[in-house]
Amino acid sequence: MRLIHLKLAARNVRRQPHRTIALGGAVAFSALVMTLISGFVNGMDSAIQDNVTLYSGGHVLVAGYTVSWSGRLQSRFADEAVANIVQSAYPEIRTASPISQTRATVVFGSREVQLSLRGVDWAKDELYHSSLILSKGDWKSLAAPRMMLMSAQTAARFGLSTGDAVLVRLSTASGQQNVTDYTVAAIYDDGAAGGMSTAFVAFSDLTADLNMKEHEQQAIAIFLKNSTSAENAAQTITKALSEKGYTVSRGAAPTSGALSASSESFVSSVVGSGAAGTAATGTTTGTAAGSSGAGASRRAVAGTVAYYVSTVQELAGEISSALGSIRWIGYAVFALMLIVSATGISNSYRMVLLERTKEIGMLRCIGYKKKDVFSSFIAEGILLAGGAALVGVILGLPVGFGIGLVPFNPHGDFGTALVQGHLKFVPSIGQLALILVFVTIVAVAAVFLPAKKAADVVPVEALRKTA
Amino acid sequence: MVNMERRMTSKMSLVLFGLVLIFSAKAQGAPPAGGGQGGGAPMGGIGLPPGFLEQNKDYQFPDDITKYSATDFLMLVRRTDIRSSFYDSDMTATITTVSVSPDKGTFVRKEQIFRRDKDDAFLMLTLEPESRKGQGMLRVDNNMWRYDPTSRKFTHTTLKDTYENSTVRNNDFRRWQRSIDYSVEKITTGTLGNYTVIIGELKANNDEVPFPYIRMYIEKDRKIVLKVEEYSLSMKLLRTAYYTQYVQIGNSFVPTVQIFQDGLIPEKRSQVTYTDISTKPVPDYYFTKEYLERVSQ
Repeated sequence: MRLIHLKLAARNVRRQPHRTIALGGAVAFSALVMTLISGFVNGMDSAIQDNVTLYSGGHVLVAGYTVSWSGRLQSRFADEAVANIVQSAYPEIRTASPISQTRATVVFGSREVQLSLRGVDWAKDELYHSSLILSKGDWKSLAAPRMMLMSAQTAARFGLSTGDAVLVRLSTASGQQNVTDYTVAAIYDDGAAGGMSTAFVAFSDLTADLNMKEHEQQAIAIFLKNSTSAENAAQTITKALSEKGYTVSRGAAPTSGALSASSESFVSSVVGSGAAGTAATGTTTGTAAGSSGAGASRRAVAGTVAYYVSTVQELAGEISSALGSIRWIGYAVFALMLIVSATGISNSYRMVLLERTKEIGMLRCIGYKKKDVFSSFIAEGILLAGGAALVGVILGLPVGFGIGLVPFNPHGDFGTALVQGHLKFVPSIGQLALILVFVTIVAVAAVFLPAKKAADVVPVEALRKTA
Repeated sequence: MVNMERRMTSKMSLVLFGLVLIFSAKAQGAPPAGGGQGGGAPMGGIGLPPGFLEQNKDYQFPDDITKYSATDFLMLVRRTDIRSSFYDSDMTATITTVSVSPDKGTFVRKEQIFRRDKDDAFLMLTLEPESRKGQGMLRVDNNMWRYDPTSRKFTHTTLKDTYENSTVRNNDFRRWQRSIDYSVEKITTGTLGNYTVIIGELKANNDEVPFPYIRMYIEKDRKIVLKVEEYSLSMKLLRTAYYTQYVQIGNSFVPTVQIFQDGLIPEKRSQVTYTDISTKPVPDYYFTKEYLERVSQ
């Protein structure tokens, strides 16, 4: 394709502005919609990962489950060496701190609500300071013992304010009932945290409530310098722990609570099966107690700890897979719009061919070859569709960022996909370029047949017919 | 002569009818062991320590309640455990649960329960409300499942779980075994209404018993539990159970009306009522997931 073809194509595009606007508008709209879909799906994906990181406490979690005297699984472990192995296994760790988490019932007056209660070391976990926005109270007051950080939604439901005392009912690590007192020290804006309702207390307080010893913990929460390397970090940590002889597993978490039947099956599959191999939910490595029979294996593994390494991507997996569906629906809509646009472009260029038959004949008479006619038609299609797609993409950016300013209900179905109650718009240059290329290819395909027919026009007949 | 023969025949008929009644009653109470029809002969039972049933049979309790030792009280608790359960037969009953909660209002459920205490097994089938009909709960071999006929799925549950977010726990439908789970810390005496009671403070024998501390109020004369207070690890009252009505069936004393009041939210309470209690043998296949799945359709 030469410059002359482009010049001719550009002139032809300008010749009939109404038709150009109609055709280009359809293509631009398709590109705009696709820009919005790809940008918002990227944003939701990123928001889900950020929020799930906040929910779960880190990019990578190393949880320990100890088999009790009765063969039941308890979410606790007391091996300080694990933290050191984790720290030294992967250099790109920002922070690694112990966390405890359980389901608890918070009682205030005659009302009660079930929520997740997390014990964090306020001095170590910077994430919460930077991710949670306090609507009442301050971080300093949380440093005092038996203080609670509660979500605005829970506080509003109870009519609670800072300084109010609540009762917390929970099961200890071994499954006993416990009730303790807390005072609401601060309230965070859950709308700014993806609708999260988790309540936070000091790690030492929750450890005591769970009837765990001071050196015991449930999990180590790891924040990485780069969240995208979570899978790599998890693999490295799993390998390091396995090499040191720990029983460690990768895959879906058996449970997030203190104790459950599923965790029992998990431990029997990981520890008590008598051989290292495939666990119910993932590949198991490390040592395993050899025994025969379920009862014998349970007795043999009492006191044994099974470690489980999970990543934020795995925890966000289900929600993210829903986003994958949205992305595919977006592609389908985009494809449908492109087919409609391509049909429009193709029909328009058939008309153009009829209108310009005499002109084509004259061009052929003054030396234009078949391939020149073909190229000028194709160039016209590329200019029209490519230009329109570019306009659509460029228009999509302010529209996307504008929609990002609209507040949504953070407690709705898509609360987890929101950032501070807003949709996050994250356009990717690669995806935008792909939209432009794809639209252009479709336009070339649509113009191909009319261009070929135009190239095949016999000059003399063209001039005779239209004389 | 004819009259004499008629009298003899009518007397023989009466004797035969009487024998039929006696054998029928025996058959209902204690079916032949290993007959595939459940029940079975008296035995130790799953999860019971050796001599659990036998040691208590002839135990002599002090006449003076102030003379009760820790061992006496533990044997008294064991007596209430044994007498509230059915180790010689199966048990079938209809359970009506009325739950009252300040934020959820009143909720009524009706269920049928099939219990085999010697195996520590039970099956519960929901009869009412209509929307929950067909749901079930099965405990067998130390495993427990809930079944939802809509999704046709079994989900694991435990004895510690609350029943429909009420003050009732799954454990309340099982046989009593407080004398296994707890040891006696302190004994006092007192009155509860018009009844003289022995009050025992008990501590859990291990850290996996849901309520670490309980206080039991046992009536002196009938040796039945009237009230049980359950405490948390921090010694806060979590729940009070009142056993207000008992029915004697054979050697068993079944608490037919049980009231459970929440310790933290006193307005939250539930009443469990047992009716249509029967000790007829229950077929073995009742205590299977397949049966629960089939009967729920």
